[in-house]
Amino acid sequence: MTSLHLSFYSAFTLSGLGLAFHRTHLISALLCLESMMLSMYVALAMWPIQTHTPSFNMIPILMLAFSACEAGTGLALLVASARTHGSDHLHNFNLLQC
Amino acid sequence: MDLSLVLNTSMLLTLVTLSAPIILPLLSMNLKNSPTTITSTIKTSFFISLIPMSIYIHSGMESITSLWEWKFIMNFKIPISLKMDFYSLTFFPIALFVSWSILQFASWYMASDPHMMKFFSYLLFFLMAMLILIVANNLFILFIGWEGVGIMSFLLISWWHGRAEANTAALQAVLYNRVGDVGLIICMAWLASYMNTWEIQQISSPTPMPTLPLLGLILAATGKSAQFGLHPWLPAAMEGPTPVSALLHSSTMVVAGIFLLIRTHPMFNTNPTALTLCLCLGALSTLFAATCALTQNDIKKIIAFSTSSQLGLMMVTIGLNLPQLAFLHISTHAFFKAMLFLCSGSIIHSLNGEQDIRKMGGLQKMLPTTTSCLTIGNLALMGTPFLAGFYSKDAIIENLNTSYLNTWALLLTLLATSFTAVYTLRMTLLVQTGYIRIPPLAPINENNPAVLSPITRLALGSITAGFLITSYIIPTKTPPMTMPLYIKITALIVTALGIILALELSKMAQTLTMPKQNHFSNFSVSLGYFNPLTHRLNVTKTLSGGQNIASHLIDLSWYKLLGPEGLATLQLKASKTATTFHTGLIKAYLGSFALSILIILMSTYTNN
Repeated sequence: MTSLHLSFYSAFTLSGLGLAFHRTHLISALLCLESMMLSMYVALAMWPIQTHTPSFNMIPILMLAFSACEAGTGLALLVASARTHGSDHLHNFNLLQC
Repeated sequence: MDLSLVLNTSMLLTLVTLSAPIILPLLSMNLKNSPTTITSTIKTSFFISLIPMSIYIHSGMESITSLWEWKFIMNFKIPISLKMDFYSLTFFPIALFVSWSILQFASWYMASDPHMMKFFSYLLFFLMAMLILIVANNLFILFIGWEGVGIMSFLLISWWHGRAEANTAALQAVLYNRVGDVGLIICMAWLASYMNTWEIQQISSPTPMPTLPLLGLILAATGKSAQFGLHPWLPAAMEGPTPVSALLHSSTMVVAGIFLLIRTHPMFNTNPTALTLCLCLGALSTLFAATCALTQNDIKKIIAFSTSSQLGLMMVTIGLNLPQLAFLHISTHAFFKAMLFLCSGSIIHSLNGEQDIRKMGGLQKMLPTTTSCLTIGNLALMGTPFLAGFYSKDAIIENLNTSYLNTWALLLTLLATSFTAVYTLRMTLLVQTGYIRIPPLAPINENNPAVLSPITRLALGSITAGFLITSYIIPTKTPPMTMPLYIKITALIVTALGIILALELSKMAQTLTMPKQNHFSNFSVSLGYFNPLTHRLNVTKTLSGGQNIASHLIDLSWYKLLGPEGLATLQLKASKTATTFHTGLIKAYLGSFALSILIILMSTYTNN
């Protein structure tokens, strides 16, 4: 595995672990999601260069579009939780049964 | 002497003379118009327009003039072409004569109005637009004149715009005319696509003409000439001053629709469906208007309904494929109808604004000239032998009786003719004879040459016009010469029956108490229930239907409910149902997620 591949594999794994093991705030989970998206972007951008198929150059752009939607949804959830509970602490989400 | 040059030049000179009071004050600072200058301009135009008419009578010369051409698309040429044939050469002097008399009357009638100059310039604009319509040879120029008279009608009906009824009446006029304009545009569009021309001479088709453009033309005539279906604007247009009613809504503007059908009658020759439609529509209009006029109490409304009825009669003549006879009726009708309006204006001013005939009576001795001319006009309207109306009306009834046509149309027209006699005689009896019912102090004064000379001039026209015009023109279609005696005097018998009925009823009605309501009088008084039905019901249904389709269905339902908001409600429902299953331990969920990923990776790695 080249060092390039190692960089985005490790970025992805570390962000995934960060997503799973954050302690207090929802926003740190969202940040980890964004870094996962970033590493995926780099991976997708490297792929057509490595395999010499320039017609796949558009794929990272599509991914960016969808990740923008997803980031928006995550932020909307953040704002909703901030409106109802006053903060984005994760222990609030135990009270989903309302 | 080159007669064609004289013909063309004098016709164009007529139009140029009329535009002089509009253009010259723009060029020089000192020139101001006044009512007398505009009246004398129209008088001069009238005398100039007698020259081309005499040339036509003398030698039968007609001409078409093509001026500058608008090269719109390479293949489709729209020249400014003016047609000087029998119709335009004869109508110019008549229209200018009637307008001259009306404007002279208006200088007395509107003397107390602060914006009298604006009134006169509006009337001049109207006259120019009407003459452009008459002399047009292609539908484009005709459309320009058509729209011009519509706009001026709107401005003139709402002259006293502080009055709410005047504004509603003007709006009614514009809206109903617009509906008719759609028909004219349909015809123009069809002609542009299929015949590639708007010139009326170039329209010919070897097969019978398709009905669609003819329907468009009939719709245009229905709107402009107040046939049944688009008729309510004409009685409502009596809100305008009396000179406006006399010029626009009796002699000139309302005949524009019929004139359009006369100009384009070669298209109608081969299509019997369109002709039958004209016939039945005209018969229905004439009877309906005559029925409504029977119970009216406003003198101007009676004359308005009588105009509407005569327009229906002209439409019937078009339906008989006799355009020249319709034109003859237009010409004779202009004289006596304008005179009736001017007499009513003189009566109204003399009684200080009283328009209700139940409050007039015995005016024969107080306004002798006016009421005598009113009588002459009413007799001409009824078709008294050898006055002006007789030559056209009797000829129409004779042709109706000797043609192979729809019996129902014939019966309706005959009934309407007798109703004409009834309401005319009712108006005459209530206004001129009997006991005096006016308030004591009325400023009765007709000793003003501005009042008397137009009315007497038009009275002279009402007596002699029919005779003169029929003596000098050659009919294009053979009139029926032989018929049994009872058919020949049908119009006279029917009118006489109407007169006898009216006299009997007036004798009875003087000692009558207020009658209880019955269906016929209710129908007549409420103008056939047409106004409230269409003005409320039709409009409400159309607007609410439009709101339902455009706003409720498309915008709210399809774009919102089936789209984003529907999705949102579905999600909400799903999450509310699934909520009871959640325990909400996020950290435990994400930790188990990471653990399971780790286990899967390790198992695949060890397998490799």
